Amino acid sequence: MPNYQAPLRDMRFVLYELHQGDALAQLPGFEDFTRDLLDPVLDEAAKICGEVLAPLNRVGDEEGCHLENGVVRTPTGFKEAYNLFREGGWTGIACDPDYGGQGLPKSVNTLVEEMICSSNLSFGMYPGLSHGAYLALHAHGSDELKTRYLPNMVSGEWAGTMCLTEPHCGTDLGLCRTKAVPQDDGSYKISGTKIFISAGDQDLTGNIIHLVLARLPDAPKGIKGISLFLVPKHLVKDDGGLGAANGVTCGSIEHKMGIKGSATCVLNFDEATGWLVGEAHKGMRAMFTMMNTERLAVGIQGLGLAEASYQGAVAYARERLQGRSLSGTKHPDKSADPIIVHPDIRRMLLTMRATTEGCRALGGWLAHALDVEHHSGDTEARQEAEELVALMTPVVKALFTDLGFEAANFGMQVYGGHGYIRENGMEQFVRDARIAQIYEGTNGIQALDLIGRKLPAHAGRYLRRFFHPVADLIALKVEDEQLGVFVQPLAKAFVRLQQATGQIARVGLAKPEEAAAAASDYLRLLGLVALAYMWVRMVEVALPKVGTAEDADGFYRAKIGTARFFLDRVLPQTGALFSAIMAGGASMMEFEEAAF
Amino acid sequence: MTDIRKVAVIGAGVMGAGIAAQVANAGVPVVLLDIVREGAANRSIIAETAVEKMLKADPAPFMSKTAARLITTGNTEDHLALLGDCDWIIEAVIERPDIKQALYQKIDTVRKAGSVVSSNTSTIPLATLTDGLSDAFARDFCITHFFNPPRYMRLLEVVQGPVTRPEAVAAVSRFSDIALGKSVVACKDRPGFIANRLGVFWIQCAVTEAIDQGLEVEEADAVIGKPMGIPKTGVFGLIDLVGLDLMPHVMDSMIGLLPESDPLHAVHREQPLVSRMIAEGYTGRKGKGGFYRLNRVGGAKVKEAMSLTSGEYRPQIKPDLEVLTATRGDLKGLLASSDRLGRYALRVLGRTLAYAAALVPEAALDIAAVDEAMRLGYNWKWGPFELIDQLGAAWLAQHLAAEGLPVPALLRLAGDRTFYRVEAGKRQYLGTDGDYHDIVRPDGVLLLADLKLSHQPVLKNGSASLWDIGDGVACFEFTSKMNALDPDTMALLGKSLKLVAKQFKALVVYNEGSNFSAGANLGLALFAANIAAWTEIEQLVAAGQETYRALKYAPFPVVGAPSGLALGGSCEVLLHCDAVQAHAETYVGLVECGVGLVPGWGGCKEMLTRWSAPGVLPNGPMPAVAKVFETISTATVAKSAAEAKELLFLRPSDGITMNRYRLLADAKAKALELARDYVPPQPVELTLPGESARVGLKMAAEGFHRRGIATKHDLVVAGALAAVLSGNGADVTKPVKEEEVLELERSQFMRLVRHPATLARIESVLETGKPLRN
Repeated sequence: MPNYQAPLRDMRFVLYELHQGDALAQLPGFEDFTRDLLDPVLDEAAKICGEVLAPLNRVGDEEGCHLENGVVRTPTGFKEAYNLFREGGWTGIACDPDYGGQGLPKSVNTLVEEMICSSNLSFGMYPGLSHGAYLALHAHGSDELKTRYLPNMVSGEWAGTMCLTEPHCGTDLGLCRTKAVPQDDGSYKISGTKIFISAGDQDLTGNIIHLVLARLPDAPKGIKGISLFLVPKHLVKDDGGLGAANGVTCGSIEHKMGIKGSATCVLNFDEATGWLVGEAHKGMRAMFTMMNTERLAVGIQGLGLAEASYQGAVAYARERLQGRSLSGTKHPDKSADPIIVHPDIRRMLLTMRATTEGCRALGGWLAHALDVEHHSGDTEARQEAEELVALMTPVVKALFTDLGFEAANFGMQVYGGHGYIRENGMEQFVRDARIAQIYEGTNGIQALDLIGRKLPAHAGRYLRRFFHPVADLIALKVEDEQLGVFVQPLAKAFVRLQQATGQIARVGLAKPEEAAAAASDYLRLLGLVALAYMWVRMVEVALPKVGTAEDADGFYRAKIGTARFFLDRVLPQTGALFSAIMAGGASMMEFEEAAF
Repeated sequence: MTDIRKVAVIGAGVMGAGIAAQVANAGVPVVLLDIVREGAANRSIIAETAVEKMLKADPAPFMSKTAARLITTGNTEDHLALLGDCDWIIEAVIERPDIKQALYQKIDTVRKAGSVVSSNTSTIPLATLTDGLSDAFARDFCITHFFNPPRYMRLLEVVQGPVTRPEAVAAVSRFSDIALGKSVVACKDRPGFIANRLGVFWIQCAVTEAIDQGLEVEEADAVIGKPMGIPKTGVFGLIDLVGLDLMPHVMDSMIGLLPESDPLHAVHREQPLVSRMIAEGYTGRKGKGGFYRLNRVGGAKVKEAMSLTSGEYRPQIKPDLEVLTATRGDLKGLLASSDRLGRYALRVLGRTLAYAAALVPEAALDIAAVDEAMRLGYNWKWGPFELIDQLGAAWLAQHLAAEGLPVPALLRLAGDRTFYRVEAGKRQYLGTDGDYHDIVRPDGVLLLADLKLSHQPVLKNGSASLWDIGDGVACFEFTSKMNALDPDTMALLGKSLKLVAKQFKALVVYNEGSNFSAGANLGLALFAANIAAWTEIEQLVAAGQETYRALKYAPFPVVGAPSGLALGGSCEVLLHCDAVQAHAETYVGLVECGVGLVPGWGGCKEMLTRWSAPGVLPNGPMPAVAKVFETISTATVAKSAAEAKELLFLRPSDGITMNRYRLLADAKAKALELARDYVPPQPVELTLPGESARVGLKMAAEGFHRRGIATKHDLVVAGALAAVLSGNGADVTKPVKEEEVLELERSQFMRLVRHPATLARIESVLETGKPLRN
């Protein structure tokens, strides 16, 4: 059973040393968030995640959720853990102080989210979905709706959900059929069926605030005719107390591959009372404002599971004794050497480690950009940050969840047969990780978003926010005596990325299908280059520390060692991706449909 | 045949003065007379004022201000004797037969024998104008109907009477074609001739149908516009331009002259809304507003339109144009659609095309004349018969019948055939005899479009082609979107230069797009800059420099033949040619500074070479550098080929062709002339003034910045340009080689292309079409 310890040392490295988290306090509204305030937050989060949430992870998986008399019962211990979580103020740490939140920077909240995902992803779904609903309501709701609902959502008394998917429409929400009929009092009657609603029902909170996409009677066809409504599970009286049950019922819950402690519900709306959030027919726009934050959060799930699996795999590889090192016995006192001596085990462990540390750095960069986007006083800086976020969001979502799944798989492999059995918890990470590649827009959709929307926008202006910093670093440091050897592989991969980008832009204009055929490979190529960029920057920070008193624990030496592994052994994948992209899509598209 | 060496225009209104200006543009002296204004001290004030106004007008009637000197102004009482040595006398006075005839009597007393007299009337039949005048006068008389503005509109309708001397018409037509650059269309003596006859029908039909069917003006203009290849002003926007009050005049005169059976009577109806608007002064852009207006509401400007349904102004609407989107590029689909806009399109265009078919042979000799008249007189992309061919004559006939509308004889004659066809590499039209006839181009007209019917390109890629245009001359054509120059253009040009050296005597760079080229493909450049592909960008700059140098020093002559815009990189092509034969309406300029760059394909180098050639400017290297700096840093664009000569974008020895159709033949002739005993130019060395000049230019730019004329980034760009032109620290005593200037162009270009303010400028031009003044 893996024993999760939050990687606080590396998190502080990313937050303060790599991305200058201390400078966050210079942004308007963040004045209080100096290091002496942020550090205890991380320590406390590590504590509740390690001590309360992680021990419940397997329980949740084994027990799952149950629908009893139309009400969802969460696994044993979830309710108590949730109470501790809520009382600790964790539901509102990233929320607006005007509604009782703590307004922590995204840079910090992202690290807390990672810890939650590492320790118990299923549990994290409940506050996670609430936060998504909070963001949409906060950005688009009327003052009246916000005053009535937000404080209890921030405090965690109530939870929230996002109700988008219907039986016949997932990716293509324009097909949405749920109806909203206006009433004389300004409310609406909502009727329809929503499926795959995470945290759609539970026994953790007193009320659940559903945000529901539905169509008004006069709505235009397709995606431009969708509106967003707030539909509480229990109606809220004017005095703030709970009133009658609204017409929302949980019809059934899904039996899933993973995240079994999270209830995935079919919700039936039968003339349920709701209120319009934002403008009529502009529901998708309301969704998009929280989409970047949500997609980053899902990417972080991949990272969190990779970290948890890595910790388990390292512990096992140190203690599991099998065979002897090929370069000669390393532990003659033992019956066999620990498997950590074997090259293939090291390959897997270092791949996992390079993934987690690289993704943590990249996610931190994006979270920092989100902070600048929303808090900087400099309009130009805000816009540039917004463009970086727009470009990198699909990359982070898809790359992190793909790599997270691969890492979890390696973790299980390190265990051999012991990874495949349930008792050791390693296979749960694999199953739990799998969904993150699917929901919140499948990774294929992320790739299409990248090449179809983000890449061509303003003749490539969003790309500039990533390509220019990378090009500048390369130009500045490629000849550097110490850093040069790390920069050169990045430079090589970057040229491939530039060529592939140019190719897709050229071809995509004339033949969108050709660009789409390259999309997933391209996203991965860009993602690997982004990780390499992070690794070089991390080396840049770490190099001067090596051999100093600050490196007594060997943290910086290990950082450089992991960087070497990534640049030597992972980054060359860009060569294969490049070849595949340049080969074009004809072999797929000319294949006869009947022959499948 | 009479040669026209001097012209007179009587009547200095907008049309008369504009015609006089165009004659002057052709380099031909012209007398411009108008009446004596009652009580005026200056008895020629009307004509004089007309010329003064034209010198300030925009768009300019004059191609060069110096052309105004060729106009002699006067009045019809004191200066009639000036007509005595004129070969062509054009009357452009008020549309009243009595006044015109009285004037003709006076003219007849002073004009020389064999001179031609013509009227610019748009509505009065020739028979009426010559009624009662001597046969001798009538023999020298014809109608020459120009379109407004005379410099820019390429159509000239010519009508000859039963006794008009053929040589008189031939002389005027030939002069109008070659010297004035007009496409002459012979018309019969029918009301409104061809273009206005059909144009007025079309406008009236579109207005009446729109009101009857309850459409709004935005809807009508969206339908009667782009889908039909008609300028986007559509019909209501066009009426605003010409004036609402003018329409009833033209209509009434035509209605009075046409028989009851003419379909114009069927669409003619007084519209109370239009009458009210005219009465209230809403006569269009010249009045308080028209169907569209810009209204000030509490300090803000609001775009408004007249609602045809309510008769009130309201904010402009964005109509639901789903049917237009669904049928984009498919005119037949639009007309066949049961949608209300589709019905409108059919009712208007179907009847207009039918009317066009009824005009042959009544008003026009053949269908080609009608098409040319509508293309050049109304700026339609396709003439009516070309539009019918898109629909199918049989299809149109069937749909007209279904609407209960008469099917004209010519349409029935066509049956299921097309009006145009290509047979054995020749374009043919369907005659009223039911047979096809070749379209014959006049001598001295050579069109790539014709050549393409029977030839394949010698070389070709996605952005350019090389053609064999005969007699050992090759023609390099840009073919990319908007003729933008990109790596493929450069690659094919390089390849062409090698091939021409082996297989041809000379090369012409020419194309038949509406613009020669607006310059390099900025979209590609911006994308490359956004992904930091600096090496590729620098390679593209270097490749352009190398290719243009190869063009300049090729062992054969190269003649540039531009028309329309020739900006940036395409201006630089011309600068490297041995000679240019330019269409008069060519707008050349090095506009790189406007997008935050400096010319990088040898533009700086060539301009320095031209301005510092011996005898151009006095006093050492500085004046040339200052002149080039001024021209390039302000992104000056010449507003005509004549002006381009003043700026030295063209050399004094370069040729100007007035008629667009004659450009390629003229360029080819020039190329063949140069090919005899051709010796490539020798590389020149420049003397550049160095650091002090750079500082001086920079200070000048800073002065402009302080006065608010130059923006912050203008200063950065001007600094880079100053570095190039001054030779960046050059020693004034040492000559600078061409390669060194090119190197400077390249390094400054690369410095600027990394600047975010430059990228913002490029993006703005790409996305909004407007320069960003950052």
